[in-house]
Amino acid sequence: MSRPSVAPGYEVLLEVRGVRKSFGRRQVLRDVSFEVPPGRIVGITGENGSGKTTLLRIVVGLLAPDGGVVRGDARTGYCPQDLAVFETLTVRENFAYFATAYGLCGTGPRPWTGTMDELCARFRFADYREALVSTLSGGTKQKLNFCLSILHDPGLLVLDEPYAGLDWETYLRFWEFAEERRALGRSAVIVSHFVYDRSRFDAVLELREGVLRCV
Amino acid sequence: MRLKNVATSWVMTMAEMRRSRIALILFFVIPSVFYGVILLITTHRPIAFRLASISLKSLITVSQRDEAMVFIGLAAVGVLTSFLALHLTQKHAEVNRRLILAGYRTTELLVSKFLALVAVIALVGLYVGAITPLFFRPLRFGLVLAGFVMAGYVYGAYGMLIGAIFRRELEGILFIVLLANLDIGWLQNPIYYFEAQNKAVIRSLPAYFPSQLSMASAFTYESVWGPLLGSLAYGTALLAAALLIYSLRMRLRKRP
Repeated sequence: MSRPSVAPGYEVLLEVRGVRKSFGRRQVLRDVSFEVPPGRIVGITGENGSGKTTLLRIVVGLLAPDGGVVRGDARTGYCPQDLAVFETLTVRENFAYFATAYGLCGTGPRPWTGTMDELCARFRFADYREALVSTLSGGTKQKLNFCLSILHDPGLLVLDEPYAGLDWETYLRFWEFAEERRALGRSAVIVSHFVYDRSRFDAVLELREGVLRCV
Repeated sequence: MRLKNVATSWVMTMAEMRRSRIALILFFVIPSVFYGVILLITTHRPIAFRLASISLKSLITVSQRDEAMVFIGLAAVGVLTSFLALHLTQKHAEVNRRLILAGYRTTELLVSKFLALVAVIALVGLYVGAITPLFFRPLRFGLVLAGFVMAGYVYGAYGMLIGAIFRRELEGILFIVLLANLDIGWLQNPIYYFEAQNKAVIRSLPAYFPSQLSMASAFTYESVWGPLLGSLAYGTALLAAALLIYSLRMRLRKRP
């Protein structure tokens, strides 16, 4: 069994051990194990249909594995591959809805609106805060999809093809942001069917034939 | 259940419905069209029937048009609310799941959707009730209105249950059409069930109590507590089943 360990000896934010998953007779994940310590960006790559999204859905709790365990108590932010935003609400309303879900609407040290303004400015869609999501371009919707997953400053970000549809400038800003978070000890698991910049990751794991291997 | 979360979700659901202008317009146009058709095709010929929920020995004799007005009002409210409830429950399934992952509880989401549905039921029920007196004067107008609202409640809960069971819209629509056509669109009309056999089947259908409530209130002074409480119980049972199935479908796997 191969069990890529990205940084042995550290505290672990996420531990995935021996995860298996089948859909009917098709075994998608055979024996997947990996760990994510604090302050690490882990890439998971693989061909279309290799089971990357299935693995992430198991990691965040949207799907039950047939076997194995997923452990970790870090606050998690999840950005799904397909847009999961309310099209008939405005950008601000989407943020408000998720801020309520994250429990940010109480008497916290920092109002969520400040974080929203900062994220919208950083990813260059501040002008669309009051616009209905259905009127936005695909790229701007993707920015919102991503920003909703980081509104609560999670310790662990789980991103499924986060930069699909982003322009080059936003792609660079995404990495700038990810590296700032890494410096603060926040981690990310990024799934992509191909990895542009290998050097930006602390580890890249390839999912092939249901098993993860270090690349 | 956190009231703040329910309130936010309710506000957002209402905002979404408010922006579906054409659907909202249809909510008011469809009952008007139903009434228009009844006006066009019915006469004041007297018809006689017996109501299942009250123990009158003699037949109730009313104008065919008056009876049809009450019946079509019930059908309009029931059908519209069940479709709306289906839509509210099925729409955004993935985003709702993401909200649950972010911290919402399934009960908070479903209750907020139900409360949004209640607001629409009240509006449509009141609208249908308000235009009814333009065509005829029921004996107890307020209780006829209550019957319309109960039809919305029971069929709204049914729509939510179907929405919780089926992931895809087509299956949901077909199930609603199947029951609504048979029940609130046909069998609960006293003219049909008056001489029907196996009436127990008709009495077990969702629109039985609301239609009895409206019919008995429109044409008699008999007590309607039974149909009123029956409607509430039926709707609540359907709602509880919807909540249970929705919770099972949307549940997350907690990490150890």
